[in-house]
Amino acid sequence: MAPPRALSEFVAEANEVLETLAHDVAVLDAQRGREPEPDLLNAIFRAAHSLKGLSGMFGQERISTLAHHLEDVLDALRLGKVLASDALLDAILDGVDVLTLMLREASGEAPSDETARRATALTETFVRLASGGQQTAVDVLDEVGLDPAIRSVFTEYEEHRLRENVKKGIALWKVRAVFSLDDFDQRLAGLNATLKPLGEVISTLPSSQPGDETSIAFDLIFGSPRPQHEIETAVQTMASVQPLTNKPVRPRLVSEPEPDAPRTRPAPRPPVFASDVSSPELTPLSSSSPSGVMQGAEPSLRSLAQTVRVDIARLDGLMNVIGELLTVRANIHRLADVARQAGATPLPKLWGQELQKEARALERKLDELQAGVLDVRMVPLGQVFDKLARLMRRLVRQSGKDVHFEVSGGDVELDKLIVEELSDPLMHLLRNALDHGVETPDRRIAQGKDARGLIRLKAQQLGNQVQIEVGDDGAGMDEGRIKQVAIERGLVTRELTDELERRDLLNLVFLPGFSTRKDVSELSGRGVGLDVVKTNLARLSGLIDIDSRRGEGTTFVLTLPLTLAIIRALIVGVADRTFAVPLNSVTEIVAVKPAELRTIERREVLEVRGQTLPFVRLSRIFGLQELPVERHFVVVIGLAQERLGLAVDALLGQEDIVTKPLGGRLKGVPGIAGATELGDRRAVLVLDVAALVEELKRPQAAVG
Amino acid sequence: MANPRFEAQLARFFYRPDEDVGAWLELAPEIAEAGEVAEELPEEFLAFELGAEVYAVPIGAVREILKVPAITGVPRVAEHVLGVMNVRGEMLPVYDLKQRLRLVDAPQRVTGPTDLPRESRVVLLKDPEGDAGILVDRVQGVVRLPLSKLEPAPNLGADRRAVAGLGRAGGNLYILLDVEAALA
Amino acid sequence: MEPFKVLIVEDSRATREMLAAAVDLAGGVEVYTAVSGFEALKVLPRHRFALIITDINMPDINGLELINFVKKNPNYRHVPLFVVTTEGRSQDRERGLQLGASEYLVKPFESETLTALVQRYLKR
Repeated sequence: MAPPRALSEFVAEANEVLETLAHDVAVLDAQRGREPEPDLLNAIFRAAHSLKGLSGMFGQERISTLAHHLEDVLDALRLGKVLASDALLDAILDGVDVLTLMLREASGEAPSDETARRATALTETFVRLASGGQQTAVDVLDEVGLDPAIRSVFTEYEEHRLRENVKKGIALWKVRAVFSLDDFDQRLAGLNATLKPLGEVISTLPSSQPGDETSIAFDLIFGSPRPQHEIETAVQTMASVQPLTNKPVRPRLVSEPEPDAPRTRPAPRPPVFASDVSSPELTPLSSSSPSGVMQGAEPSLRSLAQTVRVDIARLDGLMNVIGELLTVRANIHRLADVARQAGATPLPKLWGQELQKEARALERKLDELQAGVLDVRMVPLGQVFDKLARLMRRLVRQSGKDVHFEVSGGDVELDKLIVEELSDPLMHLLRNALDHGVETPDRRIAQGKDARGLIRLKAQQLGNQVQIEVGDDGAGMDEGRIKQVAIERGLVTRELTDELERRDLLNLVFLPGFSTRKDVSELSGRGVGLDVVKTNLARLSGLIDIDSRRGEGTTFVLTLPLTLAIIRALIVGVADRTFAVPLNSVTEIVAVKPAELRTIERREVLEVRGQTLPFVRLSRIFGLQELPVERHFVVVIGLAQERLGLAVDALLGQEDIVTKPLGGRLKGVPGIAGATELGDRRAVLVLDVAALVEELKRPQAAVG
Repeated sequence: MANPRFEAQLARFFYRPDEDVGAWLELAPEIAEAGEVAEELPEEFLAFELGAEVYAVPIGAVREILKVPAITGVPRVAEHVLGVMNVRGEMLPVYDLKQRLRLVDAPQRVTGPTDLPRESRVVLLKDPEGDAGILVDRVQGVVRLPLSKLEPAPNLGADRRAVAGLGRAGGNLYILLDVEAALA
Repeated sequence: MEPFKVLIVEDSRATREMLAAAVDLAGGVEVYTAVSGFEALKVLPRHRFALIITDINMPDINGLELINFVKKNPNYRHVPLFVVTTEGRSQDRERGLQLGASEYLVKPFESETLTALVQRYLKR
């Protein structure tokens, strides 16, 4: 059945469904101990249900089976057959995790036995939990006398909601509204919003009653304890309100079956154009023939969906086109400049001015286009934050510590690629905060702190950058201990640590192989250190800083660019070569005379605003000719917590660039991130600032 | 004839990065051995000159033939890598095969067409590790060589590992290049 | 000959496209899709559909309500209606058929089944 695109289609949609599911389950989890909101439960049930159907359709049996059992549990929960116990909520959380793993495996990752084992265990748990309760014996709906014609269109879930309302003594109402066909969905949404504070909208029944071509009637089945006049006042002229159950029970029509009686399925009657045997009040076809009715306006409505899903690779393709247009723009500017300046005669000069004007117009439109495409790539950080919140709640429960996990700024948007890459580093920092940061309740009380610890995950946008903080109010870092460990592991010399300032000492934790505890706890995961976090961030052109106070806590501050797709770069000249330096890692540019340089242990350094920085000649590290200069242009690089002065021969301007990887066998050249093209089509190498900083630091920190 | 002073500029003005192999294929019959009894279908090779020697690569391994583009030197790579070129937005490496095969002693420095004779070309080869260009002195054209008559490469020492074998057609000797070994 | 217009009401995009592909295979049809019950209500009066295929679980109105609406409306009541759902629940199934659905298909099923049913109902 599946066309070739099917698997990727499936994965994309299943992923969306899972994200929704995960988000809603996280909300449900946060409401532990309270009676779950019916709407939320129903949304979760629907997501599990969709996933089951979707994976079933695409032959993904494993996912389908697990989703099916999850759905059964959720169904029992929303129908009130079982209670929202801790065990049940934990199983649901686990279910979302395992489904996520399975989906990854379906999309090409190697299947693991662990996933299969968890799935089997979960299936058993779900089966056990779902069979927890039994059906209510007496149907209260029979007692209130509900019109069977209305009742016949309710799903089992809607009936359950009706029962729940009746059991609580809440009156049921029929709210009737007639809307225009053009905008009934918005108007209905408005009506729903009005009714919601007063009760529960259980079902929305479209009705054919008004019978004309331009409008449609709806009966909203509404449960509310408020008196009729109050509901009427709220809905004003939008709708009329009638009691649903006070109405005398209408005698049943012959054709209308007793809802609880066993039924047989009518045989298929192909083709069914001329008659409708199931309905007695049959209208002759001739009078209702729609032939002349809808010929007029036939808008294209193959799909009215408001969103499209786009492969990120296509956006990258668009970005590349924009990059090329930026090159054209630069060329036009240059030509305009030449024409304007060659203007000994008036004509070229005028042309030059015209050209310049057009170039500026192009530039404005190009900026809009670029902003537009970048905007499409933006996704809220909440996508990652929700997953992290889910995992954190479980880790906190397992840890035996009492911790409040606070998340804010999930609405801040970042480039999709960056958001995807962030979840691992953030998870690591959060685990660290829980594992090494927050103390046990006893110890906190002994120190006069609140027994309950706090871990914060917070994002905010600052101009072109996003700052993410991972903080705790725990014990803080012990510099003495850090120093000792770094020396013990041979990461630094004792002499060097004596010279280091507090901030630099804290930063030693980012060295590969550093871990402040010998027993690596289950929570922190084995073999992954903060150095990996740092490397991951550097790959995203991100900075990381630590602020830690003994006894008060530790905060990691991550600073990230909004996007990596198009970056602003500084164009520099070294010897006869041209290079591009990503500006997001440049903190400032200074000029120094050779005489101002000093050496420490035969390494050149320079002083900028009282801070001593390593001074590195790009020509020297790249083996290029060193030109004698009167003064060096020094590009000060700030990457993660490192600072570095990079000397170049000339500053040639700034450009927006799209970095492309070097082809094939040149992929791994250290210090080169890729190449971009400037005005003359010539490839210009883009520096990999993170790699350069890393390699220059290495011999300095390590022991000989 | 055009003034040689302007030749380079003209060449640059008419610079088309994507002259393709198709044009060369049309030349093939002229170069191929006339009157040869075709019992087997001979393989087609692209023949090009490096210094005084003539080399050949299977035509299937050739992506396109380019006039020499601007080449950007890359630091920290082997001497026989001239640098990267921009082929319609792709940043691909260019190799100096003469240096790689020790046909010359010193590496040459090439930044673009002006550093080279007019006949120089970059042959863009397909390679699973990533496509790459090789700089050649002149492209001769397509030659058909029957596979059964190819000779194994004589043992010429480690530097010539990139030679896959020898082929003869019309009294000419073609050195068959092992593309993967040449680019390694 | 004018193609038969078939309306598919299904909120899952992937499922919708799979259904559309299966219906398309029947030949001589023009497939229209709606992502929700509301959208279906809007589309219904604008076209003369020969067949409607709907899901049961949808976010705005459920499939049973849509069947009821279609079957009570003199303009549409003659249009055959299939339910395609993962909902094997017998109560919903019986209500669906009772309300006038011609076929009730529970996923997963072979696409050939749907294609064949479409052909049968459209007399192809």
